[in-house]
Amino acid sequence: MIWHIAKRELYDNLHSLRFALTTILLLGLMLTNAVVHIKEHPIRTQKYNASVTESLNVLRDRANNLYELAREGPGLLHKKPSALHFCAEGGEPFLSDVVGGAFLWSTSSGLKGFWRLDYPSATPNLTNIRPNITKVDWVFIICYALSLIALLFTFDSISGEREHGTLRLMLANPIPRHTVLIGKFLGALISINIPFTLAVLMNLLVISMSTAVQLDGTAWGRLGIILFIAVLYISLFLALGLLVSARVSQSAVSLVTLLLIWVTFVIFVPSTLASITGGFSSPMSRDEFRKRRDELYSERWKRYDDYLFEVFEPSKIIQFKGKHVTEEAAEQERLSEEHLMQQVRQVKFARATTQISPAAISQHLFESLAGTGFERYLQFLENTKSYAQQFRAFIIDADRGDPESLHIIGIREGMSQKPVSSEAIPKFEDTLSLSKDFNTAAIELLLLGMFFIVLLSGAYLAFVRVEV
Amino acid sequence: MLITLIRRELLDNLMTFRFAVAIFIMLLLVVANTAVLLKDYDKRLASYNTAVKKNRQELLETKTYSAGHISLNRAPNPLSIFNIGLDKRLGNEIWISYVYMPTLWDANKHGTDNPFLNLFTSIDLVLIFQSVLSLLALIFAYDSLAGEYERGTLRLVLTHPVGRGYILFAKYIGAMICLLVPLLMSILLSLILLTTSPSISLSTDDFLRIGGIVFTSLVYLSLFYLIGMLISAMTRRTSTALMLAMFVWGFLVPVYPNMILTAVETAPKIGTEASAYNQIKQIWEKHDREQKQFLANDAFPGDDWDFNLIGTGYSFWGGEDDPLTLHYYDYTGSHLETLEEKYELRVPHAQNYHHFLGTNIINTVERAWLIRKPALETIYLQPARIGRMLLKVSPVGLYDGATEAWAGTDLKSIQDFFSAAQRHRRAIVNHFYDKEIFASRKWFTADQGAVDWNTLPQFSFQRSDIGTNAKRALPDLFLLMMINIILFTIILLIFVKSEV
Repeated sequence: MIWHIAKRELYDNLHSLRFALTTILLLGLMLTNAVVHIKEHPIRTQKYNASVTESLNVLRDRANNLYELAREGPGLLHKKPSALHFCAEGGEPFLSDVVGGAFLWSTSSGLKGFWRLDYPSATPNLTNIRPNITKVDWVFIICYALSLIALLFTFDSISGEREHGTLRLMLANPIPRHTVLIGKFLGALISINIPFTLAVLMNLLVISMSTAVQLDGTAWGRLGIILFIAVLYISLFLALGLLVSARVSQSAVSLVTLLLIWVTFVIFVPSTLASITGGFSSPMSRDEFRKRRDELYSERWKRYDDYLFEVFEPSKIIQFKGKHVTEEAAEQERLSEEHLMQQVRQVKFARATTQISPAAISQHLFESLAGTGFERYLQFLENTKSYAQQFRAFIIDADRGDPESLHIIGIREGMSQKPVSSEAIPKFEDTLSLSKDFNTAAIELLLLGMFFIVLLSGAYLAFVRVEV
Repeated sequence: MLITLIRRELLDNLMTFRFAVAIFIMLLLVVANTAVLLKDYDKRLASYNTAVKKNRQELLETKTYSAGHISLNRAPNPLSIFNIGLDKRLGNEIWISYVYMPTLWDANKHGTDNPFLNLFTSIDLVLIFQSVLSLLALIFAYDSLAGEYERGTLRLVLTHPVGRGYILFAKYIGAMICLLVPLLMSILLSLILLTTSPSISLSTDDFLRIGGIVFTSLVYLSLFYLIGMLISAMTRRTSTALMLAMFVWGFLVPVYPNMILTAVETAPKIGTEASAYNQIKQIWEKHDREQKQFLANDAFPGDDWDFNLIGTGYSFWGGEDDPLTLHYYDYTGSHLETLEEKYELRVPHAQNYHHFLGTNIINTVERAWLIRKPALETIYLQPARIGRMLLKVSPVGLYDGATEAWAGTDLKSIQDFFSAAQRHRRAIVNHFYDKEIFASRKWFTADQGAVDWNTLPQFSFQRSDIGTNAKRALPDLFLLMMINIILFTIILLIFVKSEV
């Protein structure tokens, strides 16, 4: 019986205006998305490859001298662009795609500062004078456009039948109400999925046909999960439409209510709520950060001067100098990290509160599965951090290999000056791990599922109590 | 008769549940977003004030002209609460120096506490009107004619001796009054919130600007109402009209602006002006050669530009080489608090050199600017202009453009600030010439007294006056009104010819 009702809904929809308009709109959007991706992705990869080669060249040049290599560091570390960028743009223009290093050139006492990671702040986008837009990615197409369409497919599915009187006819048959509801739900789901599947297929066809973009096995796996989430997300909005449609007696009122809910939860909550809750904490400001940096610096130098004032033994001094340089770098790196982490915590909290909006949840999910956006950025930072450790361990190891060296890391006199083989130096390669992404995504997926179940059972309860 | 018809429309629309829900959500959004924007404005204003104070203090502490760092700060615009435009995004601190011509692309940001928060788009009042009120206008409109056809009430109304134009006009006026209610309520509410904030004081001009924004909003809403009415008159069935209206809204408001700007490349054309960059570089290299030549030919052989003047102080080198923004310059200087007496003989030579260097750099800057200005235009301004033009196909783009211009957060208004900064640079350079400051002792050493920075020309910047704002908003506003008139005429034609 369910199928009977679903089929009826489906036939009804196939002939309707909304079905035709949905098909056109989705095809147009998905085509734009695919074409833009084929055009832009090669540029991104090219830029990434060029900068990685440049970094490697820098590394090779510095390999002439172990001390110089350790002091000046491995050069810039770059974030790898994701091949699934078309699924979620993730605010990438606002996130820096490179982590650099910093070191002091030299100080008045002839001591040279040591390399440390220097986390960049997000790019402030200062030269962008273009109008503000949201890129047409899958997030836009699914979370914005398709959710609106889902509401347009269900807003009158119960209230409309009640207005026309057909609901009474249908319920006169010996069918349980939940069957009717599920049938209507499935009918709407199938009919909305027809144009959606078509559009997705065309999008993927265009992208996979182009030689510029290569999608590997994991990428297809990720796409599969993204599509699953998309269907879950659409179902959620269909259930919402059914719920309101069952509660409200007039279709027009049902539509207005749904549209306002949509505008609130899809457009406003993700940004307004984030701005409100972002204001709860205030991370270290830039001025404060600079002040603390200068304080740390002068404190350390004071300790240095004091020590040299008391101790005259050359072997001890050289030990102390090495310790001074490495600790100074470590301290500054810690401060830079703390500064960054405070900012990250603020954004994380703001993002967490937006999870009351299903649109925000699925946007986060799309981002983490597509390997773009904020979570991905954090993963990149994590990667650079572990690389920095690896790099330092290599320096110590290589220094141990040189019998002439005093093994005092940090100063020229105490370290090996010999060239190292550039192949042996660890290279930074940015990686994406699906399991890690999935762990962060699991809770959000669960939340999305719960939203769906709550709304669908709400729709059921509302429909059972409907008086015809 | 007209009054009766209007009253009927008003009652039809105002006393509905959907209207109540819409107003409630609308006001909720307005309050929440005004509060957020207000807090954000306060924060930006506070950081502007600290930056101004800090810059001034640092300048006053500097004792020589060459080491003085004059920075100008752009104050946040209180009307950015209505349309944030580019006010928050673009740079708001610019260094004024004789060594380069300041532009928007060289600006920095004072006070960006957490740049990651840019990930969340800031929502202003215009965006709320743009999305929610236009939706409401369509919902009022979709059954205005089709509903009456279906119910048969239109036939009843037309039995009266009333012209069809009259009926249409009455419907239009009635709906516009209904739309005015939430619009004015929101504006009023946000104004009340604004007045509770001690940091914002609005002038008469500001109120006029807000009036301009309200008027533009009204024209925009009327446009959407007319679109809805047109659909209603053409389809004659409420369900079809509703569906079509929703899709038209979806296409015009969220989809079109984003789709067109994604599809059409409007990114800065970086790399297209490589020749300009090379030219600028050559101009500076020529300056470099002239400087070396000067140093080689003066009484002190060699390239030492600080003349080995020894005292307490430092020498410095500064420069910039950015092919993306064609920002290129370099300069040297020294700053001495005291000077050992035995070097006194060298001072006139150093003065002579700095006089030469200052003049030469200024000439170099002027020459480089002639190339840089048009190049920046083609790299950045043209694509942005094309993007904005494409947006104007949708009423959303026109509305956004006009309200931005009223609020003074559009690109032109922001560039006003940078033009003022350029004028200020010229004033300072002229002052340096007039007072022969490059050749003066205070340029590089403070041993015979520090610089009195108060004698320098002072910078003042006023946001452009209401007339300029109006002039900038008018083209978009005019277009919106034209579309309104055209739509109304079409509806009238359809309605007059239709059979009931």
